[in-house]
Amino acid sequence: MRGYIAFTRKEFTEQIRTYKTLIMLAVFVVFGMMSPLLAKLMPEFLSSMAIEGVKITMADPTYLDAYTQFFKNITQMGIIVTLLVFSGCVSSEVTKGTLINILSKGISRSAVIISKYTASVTLWTLSFAAAAAVNYGYTAYLFGSHSTHNLLLSCLCLWLFGAFVISVTFFASTLTKGNYGGLLVTAAILGVLLMLNMMPESVRYNPVSLAANNMALLNNTVSTADMMAALGVTLVSTVLCLTVALCIFRKKIL
Amino acid sequence: MDILKLGHVCKSFGNLSVIDDLNFTVAEHSVFGFIGRNGAGKTTTMKMILGFLPLCGGEIYVCGEKVVYGNTKTNRHIGYLPDIPEFYGYMSPKEYLKLCGQITGLKPVQIQKKTKELLSIVGLDGVNRRIKGFSRGMKQRLGIAQALLNEPKLLICDEPTSALDPAGRKEILDILSLVRDKTTIVFSTHVLSDVERICDTIGILNKGKLVLQGELSEIKSTYRQDSVRIELTDKEKILTLKEKIQRIPSVSGAEIYDKSMTFNLSGVKETGAKILQLLADEGMTVSKYEVLEPSLENVFLEVVK
Repeated sequence: MRGYIAFTRKEFTEQIRTYKTLIMLAVFVVFGMMSPLLAKLMPEFLSSMAIEGVKITMADPTYLDAYTQFFKNITQMGIIVTLLVFSGCVSSEVTKGTLINILSKGISRSAVIISKYTASVTLWTLSFAAAAAVNYGYTAYLFGSHSTHNLLLSCLCLWLFGAFVISVTFFASTLTKGNYGGLLVTAAILGVLLMLNMMPESVRYNPVSLAANNMALLNNTVSTADMMAALGVTLVSTVLCLTVALCIFRKKIL
Repeated sequence: MDILKLGHVCKSFGNLSVIDDLNFTVAEHSVFGFIGRNGAGKTTTMKMILGFLPLCGGEIYVCGEKVVYGNTKTNRHIGYLPDIPEFYGYMSPKEYLKLCGQITGLKPVQIQKKTKELLSIVGLDGVNRRIKGFSRGMKQRLGIAQALLNEPKLLICDEPTSALDPAGRKEILDILSLVRDKTTIVFSTHVLSDVERICDTIGILNKGKLVLQGELSEIKSTYRQDSVRIELTDKEKILTLKEKIQRIPSVSGAEIYDKSMTFNLSGVKETGAKILQLLADEGMTVSKYEVLEPSLENVFLEVVK
């Protein structure tokens, strides 16, 4: 336990001093700000680019357009940035050999993995919360106060998907050697999940639907109950990924 | 009491057998020099002692407890200095030692006290820069500090001096001699002069086996073979001297190098007198007459043949 606390503290220091905290927060806050702004300005952009003879008519943007932008940004660029920031978390320490000293001090290998996951998910949570809060405030400022269906649930789904992706990178980087193996395997796993999502029968259980149905939840075309299966599957998969990562890491040759 | 005990340890990587039936023990408060060529299996052995590599056979005991691969509890008795210690570059030495102390479970007061003490021993007190900019020697010294933090019963150093310049090497050896009465040291190297400086027992590893083990002084006297080097002022006379000296029965293996000649002999006193007589008779002017000390180098080269 004391090893876990000390090592988690070290992870936070590392995030701050290697600018991971700064990158994550900056990127996500920018997404939170940009999304409503883009939604608001899009019609003006388009009309300023109007080609002679072609008239583009667009409905006035609403707060829903802001959320569309927001979820699109986070599920695409947001997840990619998260993946890049956290993919080296385990593998870089293994390849550099910095863990040798620490492990010879008697910390358990499981504590190392759990510490790293705690710190990573904390930073993801903070960044995502910051993005969501900024987006909410800015949308309210630009489009007036609004009430949305299932906004919290929709955000929770996306948050869990992020936590799931981080656990997959941990699993992948304990499985492979070197710095990029983990990233490659994670990309492959996510690719497979995306392809599976094309089969209508699997959508219900697919973790990817947590990052695909966000707007449908807001529009009320997908109900809360429809998401429960995917939420359950993702939660179990996250725990499973971490457990397998722990088992592999315990026997990994350093 | 034996701090470290290896019994019938085997290790192979695929078909390549690296360690083959390795047995040795290290007694408390000794400095054990673990000598071998590059690639002899020194680092592999040390990693097995730390439970970082699985054994293919045999057993390892640290302070009477068996080492298990993976999560081994025996590491609480051990301080380890890897051949190239790697640290978190964004931390200062103090922060790094604090992290190590917290992991081992030292109290904050103890951590502060030990950190101060150790940093002054290794000459890093007052260095508040981040580790990123440290030289090899500084990293090596910080490595020793972190290894000694939990007052280990066994300090394992993997070639601590190999990559350092003479000054850095001397500093590391001085630090190790400072701590030798507090702990047992296992010290791997291929630099034999370092071994002669600080080790009291040695083991020579060759082809996966310990080919020689014992107290350094005993080994030296067992393998003692006196040799003498004579240097003449006149280069032309050296061949005549070699010819004449080889006629003395107790002389063997004469070799000429420029103006000097080295040879082995038994009984430095009597034979030596004969040689001096010979030199006087021939009227050769000697610029140097030296009785060579038996060196570990000769022993090493002989046993790893």
